[in-house]
Amino acid sequence: MDARRSAQVGPTDRSPDGTLGPAAPPAAPDLLARIRWPQEDNKIPREIFTDPDLFRLEMDAVFTGPVWVLVGHESEIPRPGDYKTFSVGAIPVIVIRSADGRIGVLVNACAHRGTRLVEGPSGNVGRGGFRCIYHMWTYDTEGRLTAVSLPQDFPSDFRKEDYGLARARTETYGGAIFATFHDDAPPLRDYLAELADGLDRVLGDGALRYLGAISVIFRTNWKLYIENIYDGYHVTALHTGFQVVRLRSHGGERLVPNYERHGHLWGRSHSTPVDQLNPVLRDMSLFEVRTKPSTDHNIMVVFPSGVVTDYFDTIQMRYVVPLELDRTMIEFVFFARAEDTEEEVWHRVRQGPAVLGPAGAITLEDAAALERVQLSATARGENVVLKGTPRRFPPYRHVDEAPIRHFYQAYRRLLGFTLPSEDAPR
Amino acid sequence: MIPTGVLEADARKQAALDLLVRYVRVVDDPRRIEEWPDLFAAEAEYLVITRENYERGLPIAVIRDDSKDRICDRLVIIKQFWGAGGRAEDHHYNAGWPRHIVGPTWVESGDAGQLLVGAHFMVWSTAAVDGSPRLLVVGEYRDVVDFATGAPKLKKKTVILDTSILQDVFVYPL
Repeated sequence: MDARRSAQVGPTDRSPDGTLGPAAPPAAPDLLARIRWPQEDNKIPREIFTDPDLFRLEMDAVFTGPVWVLVGHESEIPRPGDYKTFSVGAIPVIVIRSADGRIGVLVNACAHRGTRLVEGPSGNVGRGGFRCIYHMWTYDTEGRLTAVSLPQDFPSDFRKEDYGLARARTETYGGAIFATFHDDAPPLRDYLAELADGLDRVLGDGALRYLGAISVIFRTNWKLYIENIYDGYHVTALHTGFQVVRLRSHGGERLVPNYERHGHLWGRSHSTPVDQLNPVLRDMSLFEVRTKPSTDHNIMVVFPSGVVTDYFDTIQMRYVVPLELDRTMIEFVFFARAEDTEEEVWHRVRQGPAVLGPAGAITLEDAAALERVQLSATARGENVVLKGTPRRFPPYRHVDEAPIRHFYQAYRRLLGFTLPSEDAPR
Repeated sequence: MIPTGVLEADARKQAALDLLVRYVRVVDDPRRIEEWPDLFAAEAEYLVITRENYERGLPIAVIRDDSKDRICDRLVIIKQFWGAGGRAEDHHYNAGWPRHIVGPTWVESGDAGQLLVGAHFMVWSTAAVDGSPRLLVVGEYRDVVDFATGAPKLKKKTVILDTSILQDVFVYPL
């Protein structure tokens, strides 16, 4: 569908596959009117990084909107009863493999008085199920209420069936677990359709081995972290390590498949082989590809908050969790392939966090840059996107920042902000 | 009269503790960071891992410098990769003063004349970008100190972080 035409469709129209049309009804008209979004699609008002009301609105309109949020991978919870805790926007959830092996996402709040049921990052619920500490209400791995303490004198119409844990709709793709709280989210395969080829390359048939995760807090708004992935322009400017070892991308592109609807990103690039790099490190295996036929990399953003990449030999997903207006947790999650030799697993273990992790060769700079953008966002005015913008539609060159526009197009559509004018100058 | 063996054991214990103090002074002082690799033995390992991964037996570590080469490489990464566009060797993307606070420290005998040194620690970092003091990590050191060449050297330093969610990225070793 032509994007220009689709912009004319009314806000409540739905496309045939059930996905959301161009614009949601404004979620909070007064608030949105307060933020002046320029007509051009390459300007971003800085208020969106500093407005606490908008942040609260985003937790609903984006994270519990008609999207699928990446919440984990099946290999993180391999056995029945295994769970991990997570957040979908502001909603605390338990991602769990049930007693019969099915993956589910339960709200981590007792149906009685809302007590957090499980704490800590992960565990196995065991035979007893989840028992709330407050009044000993107990749930099974499907979230069904199985027992309450001392139910005498409850109202006569009390039925345990009415007090199960709230659940998100849950589907998996290549073992990656996605959740949605919105009835209008399309089937996951439709939502991911244009990313399928890239996801298949990275996730394969889903037979991955979980190696561990590292979480770090970036002092920046969640949108700044995500838009940074769409930005190919900063890569050589900011990541000095690439210049030092003379690692370059020899071609590649940044696609924004589905840009007229969901705003995902799929970036592909082909980088300098390790034997042609400037060997400034004694151990250059950081930049070495041993498990793939070439140095082709993929990096994807599954809108709004999931990142999937196979950079060098590092198979990584990132789960981006907004904590506060200016604090965002990034969970870097590392995988091997089930068929890997032990040497290959070890190579991935040594390489992954050393390159793409909080103490990795090329992550610290992103944190530093994004913190600085956040700190000065109170200056008001607009951030501007230029490189690659004369091209109107994807694919873009891998060095362009133009794809950022499509992230914000999808974002504006979800919140009900006015969409950019087709006639605005660029 | 004190037996010679006891005196020697006390001297080695003191030397191991002195090494810990020197370590802290080096990693807290950007101008001395080049001394950091020399605190390690010729074959050595430096591991920073969250308690979550450590106790679950998951191999992913925040830092896994499992050879002296990787330990020396860390210095290159600090000085050249993170050198904020190479403008100055001591100017980093998130410049700030790290400050280790080391609490209770204990020394036990290990194998082959090595000593095991444990300590509780935390690191505060006062960031130049906004001047705010930030509690970076809280955790535990488990060091293996080797005397094979006479002087005490770190054979292995394991840094276990209670703070499984890192509160910030960091430049200098923990």
